[in-house]
Amino acid sequence: MIALPLAMVVVVAGAMALTDHGPDSILRHLYLVPTVCAALTRGAVAGGLIGALAGLLHAPVVLPSVERAGLTPQTLDGLLSLGFPVLAGLLVGYLADDGRAHAARLDAILAIQRRLAHPGSLEEALAAAAEEVRVTLGARRVALLVGHDVQTAARASVPVGTVVDPGSAAAFTLVTGQAVWSRDQRSDPRLPSERALAPSPIRAGVLPLASGVGVIGVMAVEWAGELTRATRAGAEELALHVGLAVENVRLTLRQRRFTEELEEKVAAATARLRELDQAKTEFLSVVSHELRTPLTALQGFSELLLRSALPPEKAHRCLVYLHTEACTLGRIVGELLDLSRIEAGRPLELHPERVDLDALLERNVELFASEHLRHRFEWTCAGPGLALHADPDALDRMMKNLISNAVKYSPRGGRVLVSASPAPDRPGMVEVAVEDDGVGIPADQLPRIFDKYVRVGHPDTAAARGLGLGLSLVKALAEAHGGHVEVDSLPGKGSRFRLLLPEVDRHF
Amino acid sequence: MLLLSAPFDPGAAAAPRRPRAALVAIAGLAGLLVAAGVAWELLGRGPAGLGRALALGAAHAGLIGLGWVLTTAAPGWWRPVIRLGVAVILATIAARLVPWGPAALALLPILLLVEAAGHPRLRALGLARCRIGHAALGLAAGAFFGAHLLVTASLTFGYHLARTGAHAYASALAYDAGANVLSAEWLFRGAVFSALWRRGGFWPAALASTALALLRYLIDPALPHAPEARAGAIFYLGLVGLTGCALRAWSGSLLPGYLAGLGFFGAYRLLTP
Repeated sequence: MIALPLAMVVVVAGAMALTDHGPDSILRHLYLVPTVCAALTRGAVAGGLIGALAGLLHAPVVLPSVERAGLTPQTLDGLLSLGFPVLAGLLVGYLADDGRAHAARLDAILAIQRRLAHPGSLEEALAAAAEEVRVTLGARRVALLVGHDVQTAARASVPVGTVVDPGSAAAFTLVTGQAVWSRDQRSDPRLPSERALAPSPIRAGVLPLASGVGVIGVMAVEWAGELTRATRAGAEELALHVGLAVENVRLTLRQRRFTEELEEKVAAATARLRELDQAKTEFLSVVSHELRTPLTALQGFSELLLRSALPPEKAHRCLVYLHTEACTLGRIVGELLDLSRIEAGRPLELHPERVDLDALLERNVELFASEHLRHRFEWTCAGPGLALHADPDALDRMMKNLISNAVKYSPRGGRVLVSASPAPDRPGMVEVAVEDDGVGIPADQLPRIFDKYVRVGHPDTAAARGLGLGLSLVKALAEAHGGHVEVDSLPGKGSRFRLLLPEVDRHF
Repeated sequence: MLLLSAPFDPGAAAAPRRPRAALVAIAGLAGLLVAAGVAWELLGRGPAGLGRALALGAAHAGLIGLGWVLTTAAPGWWRPVIRLGVAVILATIAARLVPWGPAALALLPILLLVEAAGHPRLRALGLARCRIGHAALGLAAGAFFGAHLLVTASLTFGYHLARTGAHAYASALAYDAGANVLSAEWLFRGAVFSALWRRGGFWPAALASTALALLRYLIDPALPHAPEARAGAIFYLGLVGLTGCALRAWSGSLLPGYLAGLGFFGAYRLLTP
C-alpha cells in the first residue's frame, strides 16, 4: 500500500513545520523512511513519487533560506535534501523491482517447466505456460506456437483465439530464428494495417523458441503502453527457457512413446510365446494320445497273436489291423519328422514325377467315401490328361489332409466336393479344391489357420482328433512344389481350400 | 496480434507521413496572424486589446492546427483546422471585447471534441475516455503543484494572492481551459508525446515534449520576465509537463493531463507579485 508512506511523508512535513528548525532540521532525514518503504514495497515508480513528494514538501522550507542567505553550506545541504529522496526512491525501487522481476521470472520458469512436464496434451500445457508468461511479463496477449510450420504448429494463446498468417512475422522468426520487435504494431511499416492507431502504442515481439536442434517454435507477446528494457530482457529469457522446456517435453514424450511401443512389443512377444508354450503342451498331449491309440492296438493284436492260437482267418484279420495301425503310426511319425524338418528350416525331401491327378483324386475320394458313410463325396476333374509334376507321396498327403479336414469339420455329414482344373485366374497353375459345408472358420482365425499347432475350436468338433499340423504341412508341401494354398470360409456355411500347383512342365 | 495475423515485410521502410507543406502552411499562417495582431496592437487602432487577442488566438489556433496535422493529414484536413482556428481566434477576441466572451473560450474544448469525433485517427492523440480516478488524480496533482507554487512563491519571494475579482479569475480560467492548457495538451502531450512515445520509450518522449512545451512558455511574452519567475516556470511547468505525460501514458487519455494543467493554472492565476 502506498497510503502508509504517503501519510508518513505528510506526518514528517507536519512535524518539520511545527518544530520550525529550518532547512537543516534533523527531521528531514526521516523523509527517507517512507521513500525507501514505498520503494521496497511498490517499486521505483512509487519510491520516486514518494521521494518527489518529500522533496516538494521540503522545498518551502529550503527555498526561502536560499533566497535569504544565498548558497551557503547549509542551504546547499538543504537543496541536496530536496533531490536526495527522489534519487533514493528511484534507486532502491529499481533494485527492488529488478529483484522482484528476477524472482518472478524464476517462479514462472519453474511453473512453466512443471506444467509442461505434467502429462496431458501439448496444447493444454502450452496454454498454461502462455498464461504464466503473460502474468510474469505483465503482457496483454501471449501466444506460443510449437512446430516447424505456423499453419500446422501446436498453438496456444491467452486470451484464446489467434489467427496466424503464413507470411507473418511469426513465420519469419520460425524460418530465420530472428526475433522481431515492434514498437507499435499499428504504425509499424512492416505490418501493413488499415486500423486506426490506438491511444497507447501496442508493443509486441516475436521470439524464437530455440533448443539444441534449432528453432522449434515462437513466442509472441503483446503489451499496451510502455515496454521497459528489463521487461524485454525478461521476455527473451523466458523464451529461452520455454524453448528448452518444450524441447524437454518433446524428448520426454518421444521417450514415453518409445517405451510404450517397446512395452507393447514385449507384451505381444510374451503373449505369442505363451501361446506357443500352450500349443506345444497341447501338442505333446495330443501326440501322446495319437501315438498311444495305434500302439495300444499294435500291443493288443500282437499279444493276441502271441498268446492265442487263432484260426488263420482271424489271425489274418489281426495282421490287417496291425498293418493299418502301423501305417497310422508311420503317418504320424512321418508328419512329426516333416514338422521337425520345417522347424529346423531344412527343405523337404521330394521325389517329383508325373502324377495323374484324375487317378489320385478318385483313389482318395473313394477311400474316404468308404470310411465316412454319412458324408456325400463328389469329385470332378477337368480331364484325364490333367497331370502334375509332383512328389506323389506329398501330393497324396496333401489331398488326404485336406479331405480329412473337410470330413472332420463337417461333423453332421454333408457334401464334400473335390475338384481339379487349370486355375482360371493363374495361368500355368492347376487348382485342386476341396469344399465342404461344415462349421466353417471365423474370420479372425483365418490368418492363423496355416500356422503350426493351430486348431479352430468349435463345440461340434471338440471330439475330432488331430495334431494341428495338417494344414501347416499342406502349406509347406505346396510351397515346396512352387505353389501355395488358400482358403475361403464362412462360419456355419463351410470352407473351400484351394491348392494351387504348377502344371506338369514347370520345374521346381 | 498483428505480428501473428498480418503479413510481414522485414524490408519495408516507413513512408514519409509528415505533410511538411501543411505544417509550414499552418505555422506560416499563424505567424502572419500573430504578426498582424502585434502590429495592430502597436498601431493602437481599433478597440483596445483587439490586436493582442488576435495574436494570442492565432498562436493557440496554430498550435492546435499543428497538433491536428501532425497526427492526421487526411485529404481535406484544412477544413476542420481552419474552422477550429477561426473559432479559437474569434473566441479569444470575444473574451477580450465582450463581457461574456470568455464563455466562448470555455466552449472550445467541446468544439474540438466535436470536430475530432469525425476523425478516428485522432484517437492516437489520446482522445479516449479515462477512469474517473485517473481524472481526479490529474486534477489533484495539478492542484497540488499549484498550491505548492503558491506556498513556495509566497514564502520565498513574498508573492501574495491576487485580488482581481471573480470575473477576471473566471476569464483567466476560461482562457486556460479553451486555449492555453488545451493547445499545450493537444500539441505537446497529444501529438508530440504520443508520436515520440510510439517510436521509442517513455522518458525520451516525455523529456522532448516537455522541453518543447517549456520553450513555448518561455517565448510567451505574457509570462513574467523576472529570473526567479522564469526559474519557477521551468520547474513547475516541467513538473506539470512530465506529470501530464505520465498521466497520458498511464491512463491512455489526454483528460487527466489536461485537468492537471487546469488545476495548476487555476492556482497560478491566484498569484500576483
